[in-house]
Amino acid sequence: MSGVVSTARAPSAGRYANLGCGASLIPFDIGHADYVALSDPASAFWALVRKDKLADTLTDSALMAGYRAKADDFARELHALRFELKPSAVYVNPTERCNLNCTYCYIPEGMRRSGQHMSTDRLVEALGRLKSYFSTVMPEGRKPRVIFHGAEPLMNQAALFSAIDTFKDEYVFGVQTNATLLDEEAIEFLSARNVSIGLSLDGPLAETTDATRLTFGGKSVHDKVLRAMESLRGYSAWSVIATCTEKNLDQLVPLVDLFHAHEVPTCMLNAVRCTLPGARTVRPDDEALAHAFIAALERTHALYRETGRKMVVANFANILLAILAPTARRLMCDISPCGGGRAFFALAPDGGLFPCSEFIGLDAFRGGNLFTDRIEDVLESEAFRTVTGRDVDRIDPCKGCAIRHFCGSPCPAEAHEMNGGMDRVGAFCGFYEEQTRYAFRLIADGKANDFLWDGWDAEDGGVETSFDFVLP
Amino acid sequence: MPSTDIKQQAAKIAVSGAATTAVCGAEAKPAIIATRKRCEAEGVGLSHYVLMDRKAVR
Repeated sequence: MSGVVSTARAPSAGRYANLGCGASLIPFDIGHADYVALSDPASAFWALVRKDKLADTLTDSALMAGYRAKADDFARELHALRFELKPSAVYVNPTERCNLNCTYCYIPEGMRRSGQHMSTDRLVEALGRLKSYFSTVMPEGRKPRVIFHGAEPLMNQAALFSAIDTFKDEYVFGVQTNATLLDEEAIEFLSARNVSIGLSLDGPLAETTDATRLTFGGKSVHDKVLRAMESLRGYSAWSVIATCTEKNLDQLVPLVDLFHAHEVPTCMLNAVRCTLPGARTVRPDDEALAHAFIAALERTHALYRETGRKMVVANFANILLAILAPTARRLMCDISPCGGGRAFFALAPDGGLFPCSEFIGLDAFRGGNLFTDRIEDVLESEAFRTVTGRDVDRIDPCKGCAIRHFCGSPCPAEAHEMNGGMDRVGAFCGFYEEQTRYAFRLIADGKANDFLWDGWDAEDGGVETSFDFVLP
Repeated sequence: MPSTDIKQQAAKIAVSGAATTAVCGAEAKPAIIATRKRCEAEGVGLSHYVLMDRKAVR
């Protein structure tokens, strides 16, 4: 573990910041009138310091003494989070097919047009094999998760629903769908079994959604998604993902209005993943994306203040969590190594195992087959280790960046396919800088909880305070 | 309901045994803010899917 403050490794008392065994505290501008941030990236420790107190803090402060006492614990915690997790979820693609031809999809078009379904028997066998594996690695009392993903999982609905009923007591289930096949009957089935349901919609109006999400025949699906959203109103476990491209940046604020009006509990405003060339045709500029994204976040806050009803933007909430409570992250993209191949993995309809759904179109990342190989061996395969070995501490310019463990330089698939290798920086570096700076501004102004799930830090939810320092 | 302003944050008291504890004045912005929480790591979401409720796995 690099960066751990310890007096045992060198003849240094560790008394002085940035000297010998002292804490390595990097100051950086968060764009706040009163505060700058300090960060020790090796442990993801941070402090916000009033600008007129920066010199005092770095030279002789109680903060430094407090951090010295905790630094090893924090570094160990971060190391465990980055390198010691076991898989607890699998993203299952029960079909290669999709009825949409979205511009930015990471599944190759040939697969989506005429790929194979998994048969019901095969899917049930797959979940049985996965159950056996998870029983060897999951802590007592926790269920593994199965998230049906795509392509479009509801194109193989019969197999999907049969598998859910067969294993309803064994897994926590989720489905991510384009919502075009999510009729009342399907919603009734899924909601009765507490299945988490994720939809996709890119704009408040059809003309915006249609810019990136159409059927193969060029038909709009915008209204179908709105109907599904209306049917889901009141269900606690649903969410909507909007993919942010150059086609919809100017529509993110009205899109947030629409989501809030439909009582969406959680949404994501994701920067488009640029793994395949098609996605790069609609890639937004980092600065423009940051501007539009923060405007949308501000709108969610205004809506919260107006109505008292919160709509969490999960991908941003995850940046806040990475800062406030690293182990409480829910998304495992913006950490390095990412969650692919270690916190979760993905299953293709032919039994192929990949570190993450994002790699399913890239055969070099096929680590083995669920029906012929041991999962333990697949996790150690070269294909998986190429992803799990991608370490932000060894990537330029990330390795010197103060916020590298709040960002993680996502994503390996993009770095490899778009930027030329696993040792390259991820996409949207500038966007992550601005998200993180905004997150720190919210913390400085005491507003962070307004952007997080209610009760996220409840003690009865297993969250405890390990450091809390406020100096007048 | 939404939190109001920095004063609420400033009123917090350090709870870590190792950290120095200080109570803030009601008006001034605190000189230093540094907090951290921890829990069992359960994150499995990715950009294509968000875990809705940590408690659902229990």
